[in-house]
Amino acid sequence: MVIRIAAVGDVHLDEDVVGRFRPALEELPGRADVLLLAGDLTRHGTEAEARCVAQEFGGLGVPVIAVLGNHDHQCDQVPQVVGALTEAGITVLEGDGVVLDCADGRLGVAGVKGFGGGFAGRCASDFGEPEMKAFVRTTTESADRLSAALQSLDCDVLVALTHYSPVPDTLAGEPLEIYPFLGCYQLGQAIDSAPTALALHGHAHHGSERGVTPGGVRVRNVAHPVIKQAYSIFYLGDHLDQAEVSSVGTGGIQQSWS
Amino acid sequence: MTVHDPGAGPPDEYVEAEIHRLLTEDPAVAEQGITVVRTERGLVLYGEVESANRRNEILRRVAGRFPDVPITSDIGVTRTQAPTEIEQLP
Ligand SMILES: [Fe+2]
Ligand SMILES: [Fe+2]
Repeated sequence: MVIRIAAVGDVHLDEDVVGRFRPALEELPGRADVLLLAGDLTRHGTEAEARCVAQEFGGLGVPVIAVLGNHDHQCDQVPQVVGALTEAGITVLEGDGVVLDCADGRLGVAGVKGFGGGFAGRCASDFGEPEMKAFVRTTTESADRLSAALQSLDCDVLVALTHYSPVPDTLAGEPLEIYPFLGCYQLGQAIDSAPTALALHGHAHHGSERGVTPGGVRVRNVAHPVIKQAYSIFYLGDHLDQAEVSSVGTGGIQQSWS
Repeated sequence: MTVHDPGAGPPDEYVEAEIHRLLTEDPAVAEQGITVVRTERGLVLYGEVESANRRNEILRRVAGRFPDVPITSDIGVTRTQAPTEIEQLP
C-alpha cells in the first residue's frame, strides 16, 4: 500500500500570484492522491483573495484539503473565505477530519490551524492576566480539537495538517525569540495521542523541512519559501522502495534544549 | 540618559523595528517573512515573496518611509516548479 500526498503551505495568494502554481498543479492527477494546503492561503484573508485560491487550486482532478493560517484571519472574513474555498471543492478543516478512499487504501486527514505558545520548558502558561490566559487557552483548545479529530478517524494512514508547528525542529533557521509565535508543544502532544504517520505544517517561512515529535512522528514544514517548489510529494505506506526511504532520526536539526 | 542627535534620524534599532512592523502591518505588504539586517552600508532586506510586484512594493514602501536610510533589497520570488523528487516515508 502506498498513499501519495502532495503538500504546500503559505502560498499567500492574491491576484498577482494567480497562474504561477497552475502548471505544476496540472501534473498532480498522475503524481499524487491528494493535495494538502497548510494554511496562509491568502495574503489578508479577504473573500476576493480566497476566490484567487479557488481559481488556482480548484478543479485539479485530485481532492484538495486545507487548513487556514493566521493571514487567512486578518480581515475577519473567515466564513466568506471558507465559503469561497468550499464552493471550489476544497475541503477546509478546523478541528475535524476526513477519510479519503485512495487507490491503495484509506487516508485520514485531521486538521486544525493551531496557535503559538512555545515548546516544552520555554512556553507560555495559563496564568496571570486574562489576555495571557486567553492566549494559552486558545492553544490548548486547538490542540485538544486536533487530538479528538485524529482519534476519530478510521483509516489506514493518518496525517495531521496544521498551520502552526508542533515541534521546534522545523523552526531551525527562525530566530529563537519568536518560536512561541510559531508553534506549540501541545500540537505535538495531540499528534502523538493518535497513530499519526505524518504531520505537515507551514507558517515558519525561514524554518527547515524535517523534524520529529517526541513520540516519533515525522514532521514536515511545507511552507512554500522553505520547500522552494510548487509542492512536495510524500509517499506513505508499506510498499516503498527501501533504498529511497527516509528513516526517523535522519531529519531535523537537533536543538540543544529541545 | 542617552541623548540622540535628532539631525541623524532615529537610532538604527528603532528603524529596524519599525520596518519589521511596517512590512507586516501595512496592508500593501503584509509580509512576516522578511528579515531586516543592519550592516555598515545601511539596511539589507532578505526573504522570499510570492511575486515580483510584492518585492518591488516592499522596497518602495520602506524607501518612502525612510528616505534617508540606505536600503538594499535581496528579496527573492519563490520558485513554483513541480518537484523532481519525492520523499518516501515508511
Ligand atoms: Fe505564511
Ligand atoms: Fe502564518
